[in-house]
Amino acid sequence: MSAKPAIAIAIDPLEPVPVLVGRPDDRALTEALVKPLYAPTTRGWKLLVTALAAGMAFWLLSLATTLVVGIGAWGNNIPVAWAFDITTFVWWIGIGHAGTLISAILLLFQQKWRTSINRFAEAMTLFAVAMAGVYPIIHLGRPWFFWWLMPYPATLGLWPNFKSALPWDVFAISTYATVSFLFWFMGLIPDLATLRDTAPTRLKRTIYGLFAFGWRGSARHWQHYRIGYLLMAGLGTPLVVSVHTIVSFDFAISQLPGWHTTIFPPYFVAGAIFSGFAMVLTLMIPARKILGIEHVITMKHLDNMAKVILATGMMVTYGYAMEHFMAWYGGNKYEAFAFLNRWTGPYAPIWYMQLVCNVLAPQVLWFPSMRRNLVVLFAVSILVNIGMWAERFVIIAVSLHRDFIPASWGMYTPTWVDWGLLFGSMCTFGLLFLLFLRFLPVVPIAEVKELRRELDHHDARVAGLAGHGEGTP
Amino acid sequence: MPSLGLPIFGQTPAGGTPAPRWRSLAERDGRVDPEAGTYPDGEQPPPEGFSRRSFLQILGASTALAGLAACKPPREQVVSYVKRPASVTPSVASHYASAVSRGGYAVGVVVESHEGRPTKMEGNPGHPASLGGAGLHELATILDLYDPNRLAGVRRHGQPVAWSSFLGELSVLAAAHAKDGGARLRVLAEPTSSPTQADLRSRLLVRFPRARIDSWGPIADDAARAGTTLAFGRPLDPEYRLAGADVVLSLDADFLATEGDHLRQAREFARRRGQPAGMNRLYVAEASFTVTGGVADHRLRMRASEVLGFGRAVAAALAGHHGLPQLGPLGAPLTGDRNRQATAVAADLARARGRGLVLAGRRQPAALHALVAALNEALGNAGATVVYREPALLDPASGPDRLELLASELRAGLVDTLVITAWDPVYTAPADLDLAALLGKVPNVVYLTSRDDETARAANVVVAEAHPLERWGDLRGRDGTASIVQPLISPLVECVSELDLLAAFVDQGQLGAFRLVREGWMARAGDAGAGGSRASDAGAGGSRASDAGFDRAWSEWLAAGVVTGRGAAPTTPVKTVLATGRVAAALKAVPPVRAGLEAVFAPDDKLLDGRYAENAWLQELPHPVSKLTWDNAASLSPATAARLGVKTGSVVTLTLRGRSLDAPVLVQPGHADDSVTLPLGYGRTVAGPAGTGVGFSAYALRASAAPWIDAGLELKPTGRKHALAQTQEHFSMEGRSIALSYDVAELPKAVHELEEQRGPQPSLLPLVDYGKEEYRWGMAIDLGKCIGCGACTLACQAENNIPVVGKEQVLTSREMHWLRVDRYYEGSEADPETISQPLACVHCEQAPCEYVCPVNATVHSDEGLNEMVYNRCVGTRYCSNNCAYKVRRFNYLDYHGTVAPQLKMLQNPDVTVRARGVMEKCSYCVHRIEHARIDARVAGVKIGGDAVVSACQQACPAEAIVFGNLNDPASRVARLQQGERRYDLLHELGTRPRTAYLARLRNPNGELV
Repeated sequence: MSAKPAIAIAIDPLEPVPVLVGRPDDRALTEALVKPLYAPTTRGWKLLVTALAAGMAFWLLSLATTLVVGIGAWGNNIPVAWAFDITTFVWWIGIGHAGTLISAILLLFQQKWRTSINRFAEAMTLFAVAMAGVYPIIHLGRPWFFWWLMPYPATLGLWPNFKSALPWDVFAISTYATVSFLFWFMGLIPDLATLRDTAPTRLKRTIYGLFAFGWRGSARHWQHYRIGYLLMAGLGTPLVVSVHTIVSFDFAISQLPGWHTTIFPPYFVAGAIFSGFAMVLTLMIPARKILGIEHVITMKHLDNMAKVILATGMMVTYGYAMEHFMAWYGGNKYEAFAFLNRWTGPYAPIWYMQLVCNVLAPQVLWFPSMRRNLVVLFAVSILVNIGMWAERFVIIAVSLHRDFIPASWGMYTPTWVDWGLLFGSMCTFGLLFLLFLRFLPVVPIAEVKELRRELDHHDARVAGLAGHGEGTP
Repeated sequence: MPSLGLPIFGQTPAGGTPAPRWRSLAERDGRVDPEAGTYPDGEQPPPEGFSRRSFLQILGASTALAGLAACKPPREQVVSYVKRPASVTPSVASHYASAVSRGGYAVGVVVESHEGRPTKMEGNPGHPASLGGAGLHELATILDLYDPNRLAGVRRHGQPVAWSSFLGELSVLAAAHAKDGGARLRVLAEPTSSPTQADLRSRLLVRFPRARIDSWGPIADDAARAGTTLAFGRPLDPEYRLAGADVVLSLDADFLATEGDHLRQAREFARRRGQPAGMNRLYVAEASFTVTGGVADHRLRMRASEVLGFGRAVAAALAGHHGLPQLGPLGAPLTGDRNRQATAVAADLARARGRGLVLAGRRQPAALHALVAALNEALGNAGATVVYREPALLDPASGPDRLELLASELRAGLVDTLVITAWDPVYTAPADLDLAALLGKVPNVVYLTSRDDETARAANVVVAEAHPLERWGDLRGRDGTASIVQPLISPLVECVSELDLLAAFVDQGQLGAFRLVREGWMARAGDAGAGGSRASDAGAGGSRASDAGFDRAWSEWLAAGVVTGRGAAPTTPVKTVLATGRVAAALKAVPPVRAGLEAVFAPDDKLLDGRYAENAWLQELPHPVSKLTWDNAASLSPATAARLGVKTGSVVTLTLRGRSLDAPVLVQPGHADDSVTLPLGYGRTVAGPAGTGVGFSAYALRASAAPWIDAGLELKPTGRKHALAQTQEHFSMEGRSIALSYDVAELPKAVHELEEQRGPQPSLLPLVDYGKEEYRWGMAIDLGKCIGCGACTLACQAENNIPVVGKEQVLTSREMHWLRVDRYYEGSEADPETISQPLACVHCEQAPCEYVCPVNATVHSDEGLNEMVYNRCVGTRYCSNNCAYKVRRFNYLDYHGTVAPQLKMLQNPDVTVRARGVMEKCSYCVHRIEHARIDARVAGVKIGGDAVVSACQQACPAEAIVFGNLNDPASRVARLQQGERRYDLLHELGTRPRTAYLARLRNPNGELV
């Protein structure tokens, strides 16, 4: 940040923390935001990449074991036929919700604070969906036939069973992955052009230039781009709701106590946003510091996200309460038992962990001071991530392990492969994210420049209203 | 191989001579001699159908087994089971009757054979010990046939010896022993009732008059025979006729699962259960929880050593209150609650004079057996519900006494040659005899066994024994009914039978068991005046005109599985005279019950004395009571466990008579306090991959002085844990309506409750009307009849190629049994009532599994079967998650891929073998339905309502399972499903299951409630 703010910043009494600290000019912004991409790699970065790559190797080993040995390498059994696999799948898919929400819905609602964080959130979404997408395939007994879930004109005239939620899962997730990718990539194009134009080496210029698709920043380009981007946002918006709704159908359409409930779609969507924002926070709090972009991703952003977490956390809590109310009010003894079993059964500690993480922990975010305390925020975001994983485990495995016929009850114990797939997928996710931080601008440069101009207008208007009458360029 | 021209698949010859067979018109007209010289030696004749033996030969040559020299040319003829249509069509199974030995007695079996491969053993409906039902061991024996770990040939100190040269050596040895009359020759034989062996033994004893043949059976009924000796002056076998017994008192007798003719007894018992009319009442006094105790109306929980006292209290009450003074000297009243029970039982027995029955278990002392004989005599039950017969066993005494005698001779160095055909005596002998060390003192120990085991390691010469499906032989049932044991397959390995080995000592080892058996029966038939002279050359295909009558009879016997005619028919019950004084003296001589922990030795329901330790089916079968697999455990009551500070899985050190061992504990609700049940048959040290090191060997604590019940057991926790793989972890119904049972008096009141558990449920979806279909398959399971023995589970496993997964996988809850028998406890933990519930896929008409399958791999047939399309399944397991009954099984690993090639011969070709990653479940034996459909179409008729019998139904000794067409109102299943006791499991879910349950009825005594 070489340039001092050119204009005095008017403080909005309702928004004391700005979405952009200072008013850096275009050049300063570009320099600040592309700097991490050209700077030599640091020792810390290398160490982190090595550690995460090791984790990814563990993930690949677990995947290979799963494919070679069969899913018997996991702890799954009868009655608990789904456990870590689907738990982790739903967890990743839920995390993947923040990106689209921030990119699409907040864009349509013209929330300025989304600008600086949308790329970050979208990338996170993409990688989370990639991690999630692995599970529906590898959890199959015969994963090499995963394509039988897709409707294709088989010579035998066989189609998937559209009554089942699982083919819809395939549609939902593949659509979501596609739209998320396109949306992310489309947003990247102007910045790829910036990189092409600023890259220090010929190789980088070539590669960035290839992906910039010949973007020259002409008015015509911008006009088409904006229309396209809005359309993508419009396409993405229903997906925020639909994907996790359909994922929740995997459970809701069954008759298993603990799964069979109509509250699941909204409750799952709220939970997804809850966990997605928590994951954005988890990644962003260290990243903005390390990348030196705290003036672009400001406390304002963190504060807003904390509020979203608080709000969705309350929705999730309402979901828990309502599930219990229905279990009691519905008079279904199996459902009543399923919920009692959460409190008193052998997996009760996980349920208590879920309550602490998802219900209690977000409550500190009622206090502004807590929302602006990075340590607290980071801790809460981690707890929410853990809590949401626990929630899915409780819903899936704990409901399954004791259902209708007591003689068939059983216990589930994960194996090293289960743990390997869970932690390995986290490492792989982290590695992908590190690579993203290294090779692509984490903050949309063009959009931040635009934001700066919008803020200038805003400042001017505020100043004008204050009677200073200072003109704007 | 020369063409045998045998009626292998043929029926009993209709006329005097078998219908002539011919291959061409020229042959029929006599222009070609069909038998001689049509083809040069070594040339294969064109296939004429596919004889089992030729198939086997081809198979044997083309597999890795070729090196095992499987192809001994068959010399003998096998005749098919007549009740099945004869056919040489490949893929159509043939059935042959044979018999297997249970404690030396015959149990008739029918063996299913697919193109020469025996694949399944069922009960023989025509045999009195089976009546069509099959027990665990009949069903599982076939697995042993294909065991890749079977021994082959003859080995001296591990070096192979040719059978022919070994025969020569035996001949020399026998001649040497014959010099002193066999004074230093002993035979330790397996208990048997074989008439051929009886002949052979008498010939042996003629040649070796000073030799002795002892029998050894670790779970023999010696006490029972000693009891009848006390009561009647000679050893007799009681035969219980439960059909006529209204009130049954079992004094520690597990007569429904492990004792006596349990298959017949279970059937007779179950026929009096279920429906409210004519129900019997069962009292069981026992310490360990047995299958029989589980179905008792009153299970009187007491230490095994107290059962005798209880029996005497019943006698005292009968003498005191019911006008049976002759029981006075035998009775001795108890005090308190126990006496109240005895009085009530006595009153019930007295009311049912001539229609009651008292039984004593094999582990109870002879005095109690004598007392029971006296009780039955006094109550007029003898001759009605119990008759006595001369034991059909060649050695009625085969308990520790005989073994002790032999051991003393071994110790004294009086034996030069010991021939052991008894199963693994080194492992099963009482610990105080230390037989392994004694065998080292004998210069020649010849041991006949089918597998390497503890005794084989101690013997000089080990001879591979043929499997019962590979050898000729004969056996008698407890009632004397004789059966021919016929081979179904050429021996898979080089092996001989007990008859072959013993015959070698009379220089007839080359003759072959077939001729020994057949000639023996020819002689018996000849003695009966059938007109045939004893034909020494009556080998295979021998057809001298004078033997034609015998040939026909022989074919009939083989076909029926039961020998008819003189010398073969059931023995007549003997008249008995009770010696009350002797019984009273014996009762007085019984030492008083000692306080402290008692050890109760029990044959394991699954492994019996341990001879099935290498049978993976039985190892993995959940124990009928504890649901334990791949282990045994010291069972004790919850109160005793709490007092000693142990839990299920705690490893304890058991000390008895100065010997000790470590064993895991299993807390068994309903077990008697201060009593520890130690199941025999585990802890084998040399038992192949399946049996070695599984569980602990209770034999190590067993003393020859007290082989069944021993006082003074000490139990110390070690603090270690042992993982016990139980397939069921929750035994409470949690107040849910799952396995329903009512007292018979409550039934009118319960009918309303049952009505809520059946009938249509409202549905938003349009329901398919299966009533319009020709067939609507369904099942009815009568919980009132089910004894929970687990035969259905095993029959299903054998029928449907269900893999064994091993202990680790069972611990992870991945057992593959399509049909499980759930067991629930009701009431107090200390003394609960139990109920067993067989549960397989119930074939819901509104199946929750079907709509969630993304690839349509589980779908409904027109006839209402919930079908699994294995090759369409991708393995999402969603169907299992949505199955309320959790009866689907998933191939988490490649359970079939690791199966030895030899074991693949066992697989039922009608049932697909499932791959890794595929879901599977009960198919209602759809392949049997399809076979019936083919037969019906060929005949141009509809499939009969009861024509299709599922594998579980066929095996069930208690006839608790009935399968059939619900759209045929005359079918048994349709009538049962109309009954007042019918209910649907989880009816409120609206799944409309095709399998309906009939609520169990109990018949408690009002005085004891």
